[in-house]
Amino acid sequence: MSVSEGTAVKGVVDRLLTMNGWLVFLFLYVPILIVILFSFSDHPNVGIWGGFTFDWYERMLGNQQLLRALRNSVIVALISTAVSTVAGTAAAIALERYRRWLGKRPFDALLYLPVIIPDVTMAVMLLIWFAQLEFRLGLTTIILSHIAFNISFVAIVVRARLANMDEALEEAAADLYASRWKTFRLVTLPLIWPGVIGGALLALTLSLDDVVITSLVQGPGATTLPVYVFGLIRRSVTPEINAVSTVMLVASMLLVFVSLAFQRRSEDRV
Amino acid sequence: MSVAAVSLSNVTKRFGEEVTAVDAIDLEIADGEFFSLLGPSGCGKTTTLRMIAGLEFPTEGSIQIFGEEMGIRPPNKRPVNTVFQSYALFPHMTVFRNVAFGLTMTGVEGSERDRRVHEAIDLVQLSGMANRSPKQLSGGQQQRVALARALVNRPKVLLLDEPLGALDLKLRQAMQLELKDIQQEVGITFVYVTHDQQEALTMSDRIGVMSHGRLLQVGSAEEIYESPVSRFVADFIGETNFIEGEILTGGEVRLANGAVVRARTRSGPGSHVTLTLRPEKLNINAPGTTFPDDRCVLQGTVQRRIYYGDALYYEVDIGTVIVDVMVENRPGIIRYAAGDQVVLDFHPEAAEALTE
Amino acid sequence: MTDLAEFEKVEVSPELEQKAERDKARRGLLTALPSYVYLVFFFAIPLVVVFIFSFASRSRTGRPVLEDWNLDSWIGLIDPLFASIAWRSLWLAVVNTVLCLLIGYPFAYWIATRRRPTTRNILLILVLIPFWSNFLVRTYAWRTLLDVDGLVTRLGEATGLWGQLLFTAPAVFIGLLYGYLPFMVLPLYAAIERIEWSLIEAARDLYASGSDAFRKVTLPLSRPGIVAGSILVFIPSLGAYVTPDILGGARTTLLGNYIVTQFGAARNWPFGAAMSSAILIVMLVATIYYFRSGAKTL
Repeated sequence: MSVSEGTAVKGVVDRLLTMNGWLVFLFLYVPILIVILFSFSDHPNVGIWGGFTFDWYERMLGNQQLLRALRNSVIVALISTAVSTVAGTAAAIALERYRRWLGKRPFDALLYLPVIIPDVTMAVMLLIWFAQLEFRLGLTTIILSHIAFNISFVAIVVRARLANMDEALEEAAADLYASRWKTFRLVTLPLIWPGVIGGALLALTLSLDDVVITSLVQGPGATTLPVYVFGLIRRSVTPEINAVSTVMLVASMLLVFVSLAFQRRSEDRV
Repeated sequence: MSVAAVSLSNVTKRFGEEVTAVDAIDLEIADGEFFSLLGPSGCGKTTTLRMIAGLEFPTEGSIQIFGEEMGIRPPNKRPVNTVFQSYALFPHMTVFRNVAFGLTMTGVEGSERDRRVHEAIDLVQLSGMANRSPKQLSGGQQQRVALARALVNRPKVLLLDEPLGALDLKLRQAMQLELKDIQQEVGITFVYVTHDQQEALTMSDRIGVMSHGRLLQVGSAEEIYESPVSRFVADFIGETNFIEGEILTGGEVRLANGAVVRARTRSGPGSHVTLTLRPEKLNINAPGTTFPDDRCVLQGTVQRRIYYGDALYYEVDIGTVIVDVMVENRPGIIRYAAGDQVVLDFHPEAAEALTE
Repeated sequence: MTDLAEFEKVEVSPELEQKAERDKARRGLLTALPSYVYLVFFFAIPLVVVFIFSFASRSRTGRPVLEDWNLDSWIGLIDPLFASIAWRSLWLAVVNTVLCLLIGYPFAYWIATRRRPTTRNILLILVLIPFWSNFLVRTYAWRTLLDVDGLVTRLGEATGLWGQLLFTAPAVFIGLLYGYLPFMVLPLYAAIERIEWSLIEAARDLYASGSDAFRKVTLPLSRPGIVAGSILVFIPSLGAYVTPDILGGARTTLLGNYIVTQFGAARNWPFGAAMSSAILIVMLVATIYYFRSGAKTL
């Protein structure tokens, strides 16, 4: 039961809370808006406004290194998302729908570790292991690393969705002569689909966002967009970075809206 | 003799070492019968049903459907269908696709499938709702879709797991009659699980009363009501009075308050028994009333009178125990008040002396 | 149906039931197998390897040499330099978690107590948007604001309250708070929203005042959210790398940066391994303790 007349926050407290709420929103959004604003500023110094221009965006589009990094980011994100979504969904099903199997408890624990571990530690672990195996550091190792942490995130999201689904539906399908595979394809999958997509989008975002792990396992050659931008920021701060940032912001916002719209539509059908 | 529709032999289900959910059940359900498994929650009736369906496998024992041993056959290989307690309608499919599901899985297609689906939908009186989604239906309508979805496959046995539990009283009573009608029209065996004795009594050809995993008694509604074999069954079905006593000779029982009455007895003299007597089998009279020889008599004092509209309930203290008496609210009856001395009478055939 | 041959004419016995159970268990394992193998190979084993390497020797290039096993790296943890860095990182993580909690709780409570679900959803989406946008960009935003000519700096100079904050500790605090606030708000919101409000009504009915009801009912019931949010903020804060690097510069070295340099300029892989192992051990202990204390999921 949600908040009602008898439990609603009243009077002064409510006003204070609302003020706090808006201040927090201000705190969250103003910096982002400033970045966007100053991406159009015709002045080499990021803090000073120098008139409206698209120059920085032009510069950005002409930056070959940046475009290569972007291409790498997309490749890595797409591949790692695809693999980790399939693997993570399977893991979620194994955990939620099968009561007992060999090594289930350790697996459950193992699955949680990548979520709670600080990415520095994970980066170190993977780097040392790749070095030991004498893997050549490059796009492949980046993809392998991203899959390593994304499986867990996808599994968590899909698992929540599975837990919410009435198991009787799968029993009913079996009762109505469906084989295990048909049950999965025709009943389970459509019903957990919003969760699978949600997990995939989370994986996509995490992959596109990642800086620490990627920078450690990428080796001298390939680099991804956030790592490239990170390097830029350390060297010199120009409004070109604002332009890149704005594009990244718009892209992630688009992703969020697409995912929300998709989930809303799937929910309606269910 | 024809083969039983469902035959359970020594069926036991244990979960781990400690929990015995179903304990050595022997049961035969006849073809075309409406059979109910009745008992309180946790008695094992749902587990038993699920074992017939193939959703659980017995630890020991044999389950046969029309003579065919089921063993560990999964549910999609058994000629039975289930109506689930939560209906389990596929939320992402229309009523039509829900009902058609079993047919689609078994390869029935095209016009035959459409015909049978519409037939089933008409049978449960949901004609015209084929394109709705489950979300748009009321509880009662969803229940009917679940029924149609099961019946359309022409199963040899239909299993129903407390399907009316979520409906309100009036709707439930209407659906009970409808289910009975449908069963008789379609002619297949129904195995019905419920904890509601009213439901079981009104709908079933025979009832199996369960408690703690054991099957206590199987019989028609009348047999179970009039001749319960144990305290539990007597208590669970309807209202009963329990009066402690000891058997004097065959047919005579001395009650704890000293009175000697006649009753149906099964064991020998000296056995400690509990006399069961239903409230409606007792009459309440003023002191000094005379009775014919075939009636038995108890003296008592009225403790309380409760007005139920269609009946009056008296709580009468007969010395060692308080006995409930039910009197139909007919015009002209005498109403006794608390504190009144009264005499109760009953026919010996209505009293059963039970040892357990 | 020929595949039924094995099922027919068979009376069930405990062995048969167990066989059915075993078959099911096998299918469960097979379903999990791809991700199980992957995680063992790319997570569990590396974990062990890191621990092993912390006992290795250091070659000229900094890589580990798998002989001359020693405790040098671990002794390095007792070094005052490391101690001060570790302590500073711990302190930072704790302060950040507390700040996020102090600011995040009223915020989450505010959203959860809006009456209309549409309002709540919109507010949540507004919180999610910064959460989903790139972490780097959000940290960069503060980099520009706190720089010499940044807006915040100019605001501070104009009011005389503060000077340039970039490359100082407060900058890192601000950046971490900004980055991790949503991680605190979301679990808190989930926990508060789940509270059965009729309990509050019952408390009021039993003469509790507003603040009593909050302290004795709402707060304890939202504890799972507080714990979850704190963990989600504390652990990443402990290993923070990007934010201290961008906002703190070379002056503020924290655990994350210190570890990464061991694999870069400082060329001491075994030492980096030792530090990582130490963090892992602390975390594993904390997590085991958390799960043992009754929590089933995060």
